[in-house]
Amino acid sequence: MDPFLITGAVVCLLSAVLCIGAAILRQPPNDITILSVAAVELFLLAYGGSGAVRQFAGEPVLGEAWEFWGYLLTALIVPVGAFWWSILERSRWSNLVLGAVGPTIFVMLVRMEQIWDGVAGL
Amino acid sequence: MSRTAGGSSGNEAAPAGDRRSSGPGRLLIAVYGVFALAATARAGFQILTKFAEAPVAYLLTAFAAAVYVLATVSLARPGRTWYRVSVAAVTVELVGVLAVGVLSVLDAEAFPNETVWSGFGSGYGYVPLILPLLGLAWLYRNRPGKTQFLL
Repeated sequence: MDPFLITGAVVCLLSAVLCIGAAILRQPPNDITILSVAAVELFLLAYGGSGAVRQFAGEPVLGEAWEFWGYLLTALIVPVGAFWWSILERSRWSNLVLGAVGPTIFVMLVRMEQIWDGVAGL
Repeated sequence: MSRTAGGSSGNEAAPAGDRRSSGPGRLLIAVYGVFALAATARAGFQILTKFAEAPVAYLLTAFAAAVYVLATVSLARPGRTWYRVSVAAVTVELVGVLAVGVLSVLDAEAFPNETVWSGFGSGYGYVPLILPLLGLAWLYRNRPGKTQFLL
């Protein structure tokens, strides 16, 4: 198992649990839930940074390289968009919007790992 | 809000729209937004890299992407016109996922598991099938003019 996949899965799961938990407790988005989504974004940036280093160090993407980077750029938009959408209305439902970031990014991360390892194309 | 406030079509449109993008509606629109983003990116990739392989399936992904974008935008906008647009978009989405789902089961060759709607959206955890049902239920609950009967 790739350490990035494990790290990403943990960050996404933690963020989703915190946000959904806060929504169940009828909390509007707060520092904890917003920071947990920021952590997902930070993970994606680190993932992309290390991906760039690995690619230039001679460990190429086995699948389509630009599909990998397309996925990453798309994934980077998700936490930012969810943050923007959730602070426009500070209700507990906005925490569920933030809670949707974790599962979404996890699915995209699995796809990025598959592309990197050259497993069955899209 | 009084009953008379709902009488003029200009005034009642705004609160209906506000409710539509409020509360649970925010989550609904967020999920639609994710699907709009995913389907658009996927359609772009498929059409640019391997359009000749399965043009029907890839055009279908592009069509689905357009429907998701329209649904996302129209659900988020206030007013009766946008309400009608969102009902139309979500209905087309439901018909699309059902039709492509049935066709992909009957004729797997024509619809490999490459569109958002293949196998009733099985590649996306059946969310494409559940989403329009939730969307129509949400739109029905928040239909324009409903306040007249409530208040």
